[in-house]
Amino acid sequence: MSLVKVGQLAWRNLWRQRRRNVTMLVALSFAVMGVVFLNAFLRGMTAQMADSAVNNMQGHVKVLQPGYLDDPGIDKSFVLESEWSPEIPAGQMQGWARRVRVPAVIMSERETRGIELIGIDPAQESISFVADWTIEGEGLQGPDDRRILVGKSLAEQLETVAGRRLVIITQGADGRSREAGYRIAGTYQSEASAVEKLYVFTGIEAAQALLASDAVTEVSVRLTDAKHQPTVLESLIATFIGLNVFTWQTLEPMAAAMMQMSDAMIYILFIIIMTALVFGLVNTVVTAIMERYREIGMLRALGMRAGAVLLQIVAESTLIMLLGVAIGTAAGGGLCLWLSDGIDLSAFAEGLEGFGMASSVLVPMILPADVVFVVVASVVMGIVASFFPALRAVRLNPLEAMRH
Amino acid sequence: MRFNRPTWSRRLGVSLVVALTGLVFGTYQVAKAESLTAEELMSRALELTRGTSSYSELVMRIQRPDWNRSSTIVAWTRGQDEALIRFTAPAKDAGNAVLKKGEKMWTFAPALKRSIRLPSSMMSQSWGGSDFSYNDLSRSDELLRYYDLSVVETTVEDGHTIYTIDAVPHDDAPVVWGKETMVVRDDYVMLSQTYFDQSMTPIKRLETQRVAELGGRTIGVLMRMSNLEEPQEWTEIEYVEADFDADVADRKFTLFSLTSGR
Repeated sequence: MSLVKVGQLAWRNLWRQRRRNVTMLVALSFAVMGVVFLNAFLRGMTAQMADSAVNNMQGHVKVLQPGYLDDPGIDKSFVLESEWSPEIPAGQMQGWARRVRVPAVIMSERETRGIELIGIDPAQESISFVADWTIEGEGLQGPDDRRILVGKSLAEQLETVAGRRLVIITQGADGRSREAGYRIAGTYQSEASAVEKLYVFTGIEAAQALLASDAVTEVSVRLTDAKHQPTVLESLIATFIGLNVFTWQTLEPMAAAMMQMSDAMIYILFIIIMTALVFGLVNTVVTAIMERYREIGMLRALGMRAGAVLLQIVAESTLIMLLGVAIGTAAGGGLCLWLSDGIDLSAFAEGLEGFGMASSVLVPMILPADVVFVVVASVVMGIVASFFPALRAVRLNPLEAMRH
Repeated sequence: MRFNRPTWSRRLGVSLVVALTGLVFGTYQVAKAESLTAEELMSRALELTRGTSSYSELVMRIQRPDWNRSSTIVAWTRGQDEALIRFTAPAKDAGNAVLKKGEKMWTFAPALKRSIRLPSSMMSQSWGGSDFSYNDLSRSDELLRYYDLSVVETTVEDGHTIYTIDAVPHDDAPVVWGKETMVVRDDYVMLSQTYFDQSMTPIKRLETQRVAELGGRTIGVLMRMSNLEEPQEWTEIEYVEADFDADVADRKFTLFSLTSGR
């Protein structure tokens, strides 16, 4: 008996119980759609978390003086030669930046706040969120610009505006306190208000002048693709002997752990949802077999082989499963496409900041590998689940079955 | 970390150190300030304190809408760099002390039995619950270092010439104010000092409310710092006793002296 015939038989059998099988099909489609969409949602979220972490002044790989993380300051710094740039093959690196980052105190006429003073070379900052923030007033013009950029929220706290002067107090390289007045060039807006309240930017040379140092506290490298991370990490470790070279996963352990967790979550959710459904499918198959005892006995008596009967029953459930997966994947993909402008989560923005997501708009991301996994795993589960009831049908004694 | 708002100016330092130092504006019936530039006026006022050491007893009154408090303080100073200030009453505060040596400052609280070097982040916090910050205690000659001074008005009152001096901070000066205005009498008694924010709104004012002779010199003996944005809040400092050119031992300005109370 040819496979085509078996398929035909299975297909027609399905249509004999239209209502029951369509219900099953709809349930399967919804489940698969849910799984596909949830996967895309979680992938979008983790991708965004990784992006925020890298964007938030971390880069993919960062060089620091040992001890800087525990007690940041200009005393934990290192000197870069003036023409230095990282030896990373073109095409792997999106950009790099040297920075001076020190804790400081900022004062206005009315308020005092603890902040982090970051000296940057604006031309190098295409690699961080500095590249796409919005600024009211003016931006920094170069590494020697001795004006400051403060976050909008911080400016509000300090009750000040662009053009006014703020006083920054910090500790210099010699351990003595340094202070100077700085004009506000402009205020920046970031998607995270915690960032706005913490980071105050100025030209790197201006920061070095305040600290009486020609050193930097960090070199941050952003890659074109995260997959180059291990090789770049190694090459930087070889360059900066005696310094710490970290990946962003080390620097942002929370975000990295969240990413791993959502990776696992994708599989756990899939297994829970599909297991529940497969029991429904088994139930359908068992019912279908019980209804057709006589028929199966007859077929066997007429000379249909056991293998063909088995195949026919498995083919029935596989067909439903295939159809359900096809419809569900298409619907899930369509849903993601429909939401490709992003899901507005601004109502939960503050909570999301805690998870390291700077943006409140989430774009679902469909990975081909995820879809393949869902399709293949569903079909395999469908086949395996119907196999055992089918086996029971095959083992029937044709005579007894026909008398049923 | 929480930072108290520095309700009072940092530059207040001038005035307070001046006050606590027994920085005598005047008394010396020195060459009357005639046709002096603003810088000369201010620097002469500051010059008067150099090399002097003093012992003084003061009363500090803090006024708030809900409460007020009166404390007594003793202070030893030498020059502009060394000062030891100790609360003697009320009992709750007695023994709390501050030592200043150059740019560094330490506080001591008997309850904690240890001295703490003040980090720069704490320098803007309130001193002893008053509206003076530690910065106010430690600053000294900044008016000359960080400001452009100019005499904007000269009037005559009760036989004294009164100069109004505007002080505008340099662009990179570590000064939050838009400007300060000092009113100085020709015998160098500072009558008032007003602090403006950068939109030129006056924020607070230190006023000399009584000028009298004490310890052989004519000084402002009662001064009040008023918060112009909160009319119910002010802090007064009044001299009770003062001995200028007192003989103060070197060991007075040491950490041992700070913690031992001797």
